[in-house]
Amino acid sequence: MSARNYPYIIPEPCKHLVDYKLKHGLKGYTLIRDLLKCSPHGRTMIDKSKSEMPRCSFCSGYYGRFFMCLICSSVTCCITPESNHTLLHSESVGGHQIAVDMERAELYCCVCCDQVYDPEFDKAVMGKHLMVLPRSGNGLVGGGQMRLSKRKRLDFGCDLDSKSVKRMVLRRKQRSKSSLPVGLRGLNNLGNTCFMNSVLQALLHAPPLRNYFLNDMHNHESCRNSSVGRLCLPCDMDVIFSAVFSGEKTPYSPAKFLYSWWQHSENLASYEQQDAHEFFISMLDRIHEKLGKANPAVKENGDCQCIAHRVFSGLLRSDVTCTSCGFTSSTYDPCIDISLDLNTSTSFATDLASKPSKPNETLVASSLAGCLDLFTRPEKMGSDQKLYCDNCHEKQDALKQMSIKNLPLVLCLHIKRFEHSPIRKMSRKIDRHLQFPFSLDMRPYLSSSIVKKRFGNRIFSFEGEESDVSTEFEVFAVVTHSGMLESGHYVTYLRLRNQWYKCDDAWITEVDDEVVRAAQCYLIFYVQKVFHPKGSEDLSCQPMSSPADLFVPIAGCC
Amino acid sequence: MSMPKENDMSSDFEQLSFDVFRDLLDSIIVDVASESHRIARLGLDRNLDKEEEELRLSAEARARASDPSQSGEANAKYVVDIFGQTHPPVASEIFNCMNCGRSIMAGRFAPHLEKCMGKGRKARPRTTRSTTAAQNRS
Repeated sequence: MSARNYPYIIPEPCKHLVDYKLKHGLKGYTLIRDLLKCSPHGRTMIDKSKSEMPRCSFCSGYYGRFFMCLICSSVTCCITPESNHTLLHSESVGGHQIAVDMERAELYCCVCCDQVYDPEFDKAVMGKHLMVLPRSGNGLVGGGQMRLSKRKRLDFGCDLDSKSVKRMVLRRKQRSKSSLPVGLRGLNNLGNTCFMNSVLQALLHAPPLRNYFLNDMHNHESCRNSSVGRLCLPCDMDVIFSAVFSGEKTPYSPAKFLYSWWQHSENLASYEQQDAHEFFISMLDRIHEKLGKANPAVKENGDCQCIAHRVFSGLLRSDVTCTSCGFTSSTYDPCIDISLDLNTSTSFATDLASKPSKPNETLVASSLAGCLDLFTRPEKMGSDQKLYCDNCHEKQDALKQMSIKNLPLVLCLHIKRFEHSPIRKMSRKIDRHLQFPFSLDMRPYLSSSIVKKRFGNRIFSFEGEESDVSTEFEVFAVVTHSGMLESGHYVTYLRLRNQWYKCDDAWITEVDDEVVRAAQCYLIFYVQKVFHPKGSEDLSCQPMSSPADLFVPIAGCC
Repeated sequence: MSMPKENDMSSDFEQLSFDVFRDLLDSIIVDVASESHRIARLGLDRNLDKEEEELRLSAEARARASDPSQSGEANAKYVVDIFGQTHPPVASEIFNCMNCGRSIMAGRFAPHLEKCMGKGRKARPRTTRSTTAAQNRS
């Protein structure tokens, strides 16, 4: 039985720790805290610099792992289980059972011979960091100027809700006897437009975006822009949504959409293969242009309320830490998607599928978790990139680390497969396979998790930290690329009602999970679990809702 | 601990440097052990089982996909879709171009539109004898 302090599980203390706390309270912790030294990298240890080299009180040795008794402060060494003077100390002096690892500031129970944990000890350790680090907060607090986005987990507005959409769609569905999910319709390739079709398919099935348009939140017939003949990409999107969700089976030609998009984006208007990610960004830009300023009643925290931002916008945090004094400055930048470099390190997972009979096959695989770890890894900035530290008042070597402050409703992960080398004036495609999960928990990549990790994962709550943020996502669309850089083909896989569908321009077919897992992903679209529990959310299910349920977010169906 | 060789200065240094290295390495190993222990005890790696399962499924899928005995996705363009339809490789739907009004086949719409709108590398304003003649006159 352990206490929960999300996301931690606080392990139950051993009876030796309990006994110690009863007799000595927090005295020992405070003593240790005063002896601690904090490194600019977030490490905590007992300060050895002001005194002589610690030597074991039993053997006078200075090798091995050192422990300091919490009660009498005597120092003992532990080299091997046979040469464990720390254990000897606890056996020779009654009641001296808890010690602290001097190099790591971790509690150790001499009787259990194991590292033990106490939130009050961690609090003392973190207290030291807060005392010692330059400037208040310093990465531990959410950042002064940053207005905390109070977006609660389920507060996404009823226009993005599925219930009313279900009712409307159900009416249409009842006419056709098809058992296939609604919204499946091929898109004709108009001439090298698979990059466009693939992204459209993903957007057509992004639950909040789909609900927005199907709830008639931007009606192309009543839009002010269209009535005066102005270009309006949201209107063109509305037309596509209506067409694709109409129940018609013959493939749809998004010709008018292409025409509008080319009128908007001069530089991208040409008959040649293009990048799907570029198209995706361009589309969201155009939607924002038209709908971003339309609503003057912007929320007090300054977030744009256009549908593109409401659905896709997240917030990234970048921490730059001085390696000399530990001073960290944090900046926040909104983002519409996250572009990830492929991690190229060998993973242990390759052993699972290793077939000695196939020596030529590239068994080294990358994983999405690996890419996200790479993205949030502390990076040493080169010595030619020394930054001016406000605390040291001079240029110093620095560490940079990215993390995610706010997660969007729909998370688009872009895998950087196209490498452009300005030196060699060449571009190449990285074909390496990337493993990606169907269910993704983004918690380890949140700013709160990253900062905690930096300080050793101490049990501690940071100011302004939201513990009930939903971090679980489900994949609903994968845009894949096959072929070469200059001549390739995009295909989108959609996950509806826990079944995958391959959308290859006009051809929609059913495929197994493993086809999707083996495909070469380029853009992966995840949606918050609330919208898509285990991929079973579907508009064609019977919504047995009463009017009172209108504003309750859907929890799933059937 | 090994006995230092009294007569050999260089092997003293060798021994010392070996000891220092070993001590550093041991310390780093304990660092990793201590960090992992904390992560495991505090339940920060709860998703490990799920992650391993996903990795396994992915590896299996890749193995099956590269198996030549599988029929695979052969020729995707001659397949029957979920509605039981087949489609020609080049989309044959015909509609009117919204720029010039001409009847265009869907699969050729993009190249047509490019020229029609005067955009892209391939579109060039055409010089005919009458346009050059007009220029010469003015």
